[in-house]
Amino acid sequence: MRSNTVGWLMLAPTIAILAVFGIAPFIYVLYVAFHHWNPFGADPLMTYNGANNFRRLVFDREFLLSIAVTIKFAFFAVVSEIILGYLLAQLFMREFPGRGLFRTVHTLPLIVAPIVVGSVWRLMTTPSIGIIPYLLKTWFGYDLNIGRDAGAAFLLTVIMDIWHWTPLVTLTLLAALLSLPKEPFEQAQIDGANRWQIFWHITLPMIRPAILATVFIRLMDALRTVDEVWMLTSGGPGAATRYVGLHIWKIVFPKTDYGYGAAISVIVLYLTLVMCWLLYVALVAPRQKKEAE
Amino acid sequence: MIRKSGIGLAALTLGLLASVISAKADFWSDAGAKYQGVVLHGVTESTPPSNYIKDVLAPEFEKKTGIKVEIETTSWDQMYDKAIKDMEAKTGIYDMVYIEQDIIYAYLARNFLVNITQSLKDDASLKSPDFDETHFTTFANYFKNADGDLFGVPMEAFIKVYLYRTDLFNDPKIQEAFKAETGKDLKPAATHEEYTQIAEFFTKYGKDNGLELWGTTAQAHTGHPASWYEFFESVAPTFGVYNWGIDAGNNYAATVANGGQMNSDKAKAALKYWLHLRDIAPPESAASTWTEVGTTFAAGRVAQGLVYGENAAWIASDAEKSRVVGNVGVALPPTDAAVLEEVKGGTGYLGYYDGGAFGLPITSKNKEAALLFLQFIGQDSVQADWAVAAPRITNTATYDDPKVIEMDKQLNGYYSMLKNEGKLFAGAPPFPFHAQVREATAPIFYSILLGEIGPDEGLDQMAAKAEEELTNLGYRK
Repeated sequence: MRSNTVGWLMLAPTIAILAVFGIAPFIYVLYVAFHHWNPFGADPLMTYNGANNFRRLVFDREFLLSIAVTIKFAFFAVVSEIILGYLLAQLFMREFPGRGLFRTVHTLPLIVAPIVVGSVWRLMTTPSIGIIPYLLKTWFGYDLNIGRDAGAAFLLTVIMDIWHWTPLVTLTLLAALLSLPKEPFEQAQIDGANRWQIFWHITLPMIRPAILATVFIRLMDALRTVDEVWMLTSGGPGAATRYVGLHIWKIVFPKTDYGYGAAISVIVLYLTLVMCWLLYVALVAPRQKKEAE
Repeated sequence: MIRKSGIGLAALTLGLLASVISAKADFWSDAGAKYQGVVLHGVTESTPPSNYIKDVLAPEFEKKTGIKVEIETTSWDQMYDKAIKDMEAKTGIYDMVYIEQDIIYAYLARNFLVNITQSLKDDASLKSPDFDETHFTTFANYFKNADGDLFGVPMEAFIKVYLYRTDLFNDPKIQEAFKAETGKDLKPAATHEEYTQIAEFFTKYGKDNGLELWGTTAQAHTGHPASWYEFFESVAPTFGVYNWGIDAGNNYAATVANGGQMNSDKAKAALKYWLHLRDIAPPESAASTWTEVGTTFAAGRVAQGLVYGENAAWIASDAEKSRVVGNVGVALPPTDAAVLEEVKGGTGYLGYYDGGAFGLPITSKNKEAALLFLQFIGQDSVQADWAVAAPRITNTATYDDPKVIEMDKQLNGYYSMLKNEGKLFAGAPPFPFHAQVREATAPIFYSILLGEIGPDEGLDQMAAKAEEELTNLGYRK
């Protein structure tokens, strides 16, 4: 009984913080989502309008488009980061001259604020003055114009995200790889397993929890990306990079459509949870089933 | 005896004058005495005039009154974000907020701001002898209510002008080439046709001669509202489409079918004209906001363009930032002859009169001290140096200051144009739903810029969307 009380007391500050900064705002957002509320409307007061905001979502082409491009962005960014991050982690497992320096330099993007990352990439890609369009034009005769080429703008946001966040994946997977016991690998080598077999049957299953955690973190981050993309493209050209976080920002702040913005936020949270759950089921359930058999 | 009396009288006059001057000089310290320990917080956009307030006027005020002032300068979006959240949530963080002319109607509709005129009448002890609302230019009218009471102290005012490169326009070889190609003399354009012809000529001239030179600027960002603004505030009016094509007196109609002008033939002609200019502008135009347009011109990459006044000034005068100092001419934006007559008759306007004021949020916890600061920045005596450091004019007397007259020469008559032709320009329409309609229609506008939909179809969609949004907001019945 006593230990129970102490336990709750120890948890109390965390629970209080969670309640004030997590649960209460969520309940408020949920409440606002069922209201019509634009402080610059003819009637600036909050009025209850049932599920109208959610109904409006289903027919909102801009919102659906933003969801589609966000999923596309998250898919390409996260998959690339996991593959690149794993390869770099494997590289850092080996001894080579300058490894320490390379590892430090490679980690530097992580400490740069997203808004700064966006600004730097904007400077590098602005047509006529950026170094990237200049080099592409000089070397390949390719005119990069992120103001007019939707595909190029999308690709650049993906590359920027990969540049910024791959080091996080590398560090996580490196920690996982370093913690693996040597015996199973030695055993496999003695049994004549090749590199691919070792990777597929030993390394991958053993670092699966680390990969899963990294994928979840990066997926959730990618789905709510705003600042970097805002700086680089402002969501353009057109709606090519108007990812859902940016879309919500535009609805809630410049447009001050608080009720509708809250409804989008709730739906996006729900979609994120569903996506993570599906991913969890896809990656973990077969394994658990196999183990049970 | 008479001489003695004369000397005595002169001494008395001097004494009286000195005491009046000293009483005036003491106003700030006397008025500030009650508010010792108060720290005023302001938020504004990071622009040269705002930075002057932060770096010069705020420390000066603090020295005279003992009231500390902290001015936060940030981006345009962040500034609105912070100010609106503060006033909406009634947190009272800010004692002064920057009010751009286009948002004043929304702020007034929401009763966000303190009535400065009334507050100074209510408490005469706060009224500075050096502050006089009648000293402001007519730009101050944008910050007044129907009763003529002031809700913001103007701190910057500019017009978006037509800039051209005098070195290029006066080059005999270029003049000759232009004449040979068009049969006309090269001079600043007065009409759309002339402007297009000059733009086409210089873009071709740059290409033929291997120069990084194009015929015109274009504020044509494909994801930022800057492009929307350039069209509706600077181009469409020169074709006779005013107030974004929305008729407030006719149930906020935007479509031609309902009596609006947003998708009228004039608006469509204006958009096609501007899209063509965008196509012959430098490549960076598709990613350019007002800032990049300024830097493009300053880098010497264009022969002419429509440029915001705050940028026009440094482009023409700041050799550290501009490559075209001494080579910048100023003119009225090109327009249709019929529209110019209409504008001179007082019906419409030629372009955008931009600017802003400092207002006092009703939620401020230090209203009296903030009123003192607002009067301090509105005095005639601080204006001239401010106008030279960060070119802007809000008080009539500033035009006649020798420093400003000198600056006007450097700017090739920009201040004179502001003074004499300012009446041909106008601020944003008096809509309380400014950002809401802009954000609702901007995605369609970006699609037009990308060629995903045609200009005619796009404007039809935009007009319909504007009406839908206005209905949703409750303005259109």
